[in-house]
Amino acid sequence: MGIFDNILMGFGIALSWQNLLFCLIGTIYGTLIGVLPGIGPVVGVAILIPVTFGLNATTAIITMAGVYYGAMYGGSTTSILINVPGESASVVTCLDGYEMAKKGRAAPALGMAALASFIAGTLAVVLLTFIAPPLANVALSFGPPEYFALAFMGLTLVTSLAGESMVKGLMSGLFGLIVACVGVDAVSGEERFTFGFLSLLDGAGFISVAVGLFAVAEVLCNLEESMGQVFIKAKFSLRSLFPNLQDWKDSLAPIFRCSFMAFFLGNLPGAGATIASFLGYAMEKKLSKHPEKFGTGIIEGVAAPEAANNAAAGGSMVPLLALGIPSSGTSAVLLGALLVHGLKPGPLLFQSSPEFVWGLIASMYIANIMLLILNLPLVGLWASLLRVPYKILMPLIVTISAVGVFTTDNNIFDMWVMLVFGIIGYLMRKLKFPAAPVVLALVLGPLVERTLRQSLTISHGDITIFFTRPISAALITIALISLFAPLLRGVMDWRKRVVEIS
Amino acid sequence: MRRADQITGVIVLIFSVAVIEGSRRMPPSGTFGPGAGFLPFWLGAAMAILSIILLVNATREPAQASGRSPFPKGRAVLSILMTVGALAAFISLLETLGFLLSIALLTAFLLRVVEQEGWLMSATVAVANSAGLYVIFQMLLGVSLPKSIFGF
Repeated sequence: MGIFDNILMGFGIALSWQNLLFCLIGTIYGTLIGVLPGIGPVVGVAILIPVTFGLNATTAIITMAGVYYGAMYGGSTTSILINVPGESASVVTCLDGYEMAKKGRAAPALGMAALASFIAGTLAVVLLTFIAPPLANVALSFGPPEYFALAFMGLTLVTSLAGESMVKGLMSGLFGLIVACVGVDAVSGEERFTFGFLSLLDGAGFISVAVGLFAVAEVLCNLEESMGQVFIKAKFSLRSLFPNLQDWKDSLAPIFRCSFMAFFLGNLPGAGATIASFLGYAMEKKLSKHPEKFGTGIIEGVAAPEAANNAAAGGSMVPLLALGIPSSGTSAVLLGALLVHGLKPGPLLFQSSPEFVWGLIASMYIANIMLLILNLPLVGLWASLLRVPYKILMPLIVTISAVGVFTTDNNIFDMWVMLVFGIIGYLMRKLKFPAAPVVLALVLGPLVERTLRQSLTISHGDITIFFTRPISAALITIALISLFAPLLRGVMDWRKRVVEIS
Repeated sequence: MRRADQITGVIVLIFSVAVIEGSRRMPPSGTFGPGAGFLPFWLGAAMAILSIILLVNATREPAQASGRSPFPKGRAVLSILMTVGALAAFISLLETLGFLLSIALLTAFLLRVVEQEGWLMSATVAVANSAGLYVIFQMLLGVSLPKSIFGF
């Protein structure tokens, strides 16, 4: 089947009433998640997994992908209006977005954010349509060493780029891998780190861990400040939302540049929407004729990161679907969701479940359109939601997290896991350990271990198998470079200082 | 942060040693390739090395660089402890008091005691939250939520 036949089939599936309805629900819920500070897409998708158990796999994943995109759109609303990023990929939008709002240009900023996101998101899905299937074909020739190398590279890239301290990022990643070892070992049947708890035989449960680390920990952190209520002054008539001609002239090139850059960045395991938004902003600042104006409230400062984060979200679906390797915290949770529904992402997915893959891809086009419609006329509605005081939201977040986690297995134990990881997550945040590597490592852990052991079995214990095969050698080298490059710089500085002294 | 990093380094080091110890109790690698203890051992070892690096880096920092503890004081600590305690109580009592009552009590406690909202607001939101979650999960999604020992 050619690509166009596949896409037509995909649209046939995506345009069913059920899938359209749940896509809409997902995008609305996702925008809500993005708008509300204190709850991010990782938690939003994680909480949704038990809720979507009853649906068929395609509908469930369509809903969750809608949530992912919706959060990218919604996060910019609070960034622009109240200088509070709805989630980490919207942090950069605060810089120029809030300045524009202060100058009275909140409406075009919001409008441009939505439009840039739409253009970038649609571009990303188009690129995805053409890149994912050939990539899946290439990946069919991947053996255990290649998969191990890919997962290893993904983990090292995420842990070395996350947070301020690479040591702490690596420790978070290792912690996630150790937690992934809890349970019954798949190969030998041996119980590991279960301490006699029957409920741990299946592992710690990544939903409980993710919700604990993100939702509960966030609530505990927010208790320190009085979050209070926010006041928004802007007015939102539909016409005021559309950027004027000058805005478009300034923003169009940045949007396209950032979309392409971010899409390919999102393809790499380890790089997600947040990094893309930072890089997009930095790149446009370097390329601009007036770099000093960035940060004072110019429209490109909003268009660039917004395009970047949506394109990266689309791009991250490529390794997820074609290789089964997630490239960010949120796509790690999506991977978990796919596994829960009995789908095995990877090159075989395109062959074994083409209706699912193409239905999902088609629904991404639809989601982008829905989100544009949702975010332009309804922006006033989202803004008014911000008037709900956080004091009321906090118990709602706590209770829905607890209930959501409970319903994964109807097991009280899962809530204890959530609470424990909530405390751990709070401590990690205070001590400046990044949390995303833990979730990523938790989801990739079984893959990492299985492929490592398979590879070593194939090579009879010889580690050089990873270096004698070209693809895996290349990937592992990239991983090792990203790990040791900062060290090298440190050594060079030290030598320079020694030379200066003598 | 320096002191905090030092303490963290020591605690993680102890944790890593525990992981290594646990992994050595597992059966050794056999003829079918690495055994169950293989990965945990190396993970523990890597974690131990990193925790020592953290400890060393923190110790080498000048003492007056960042003297403030990252943890909050006063009212905030109380709020955090109360929230954790409330959640723990909720989880323990869920099967005794049932879903509706437990959620309502948890919500009310968090609003009234932790956030110090008024009685009316706390009670209203508590009831609304409990009912709302019940409708979403039990009725719309068909999940069976715990009933209390009294039958509801």
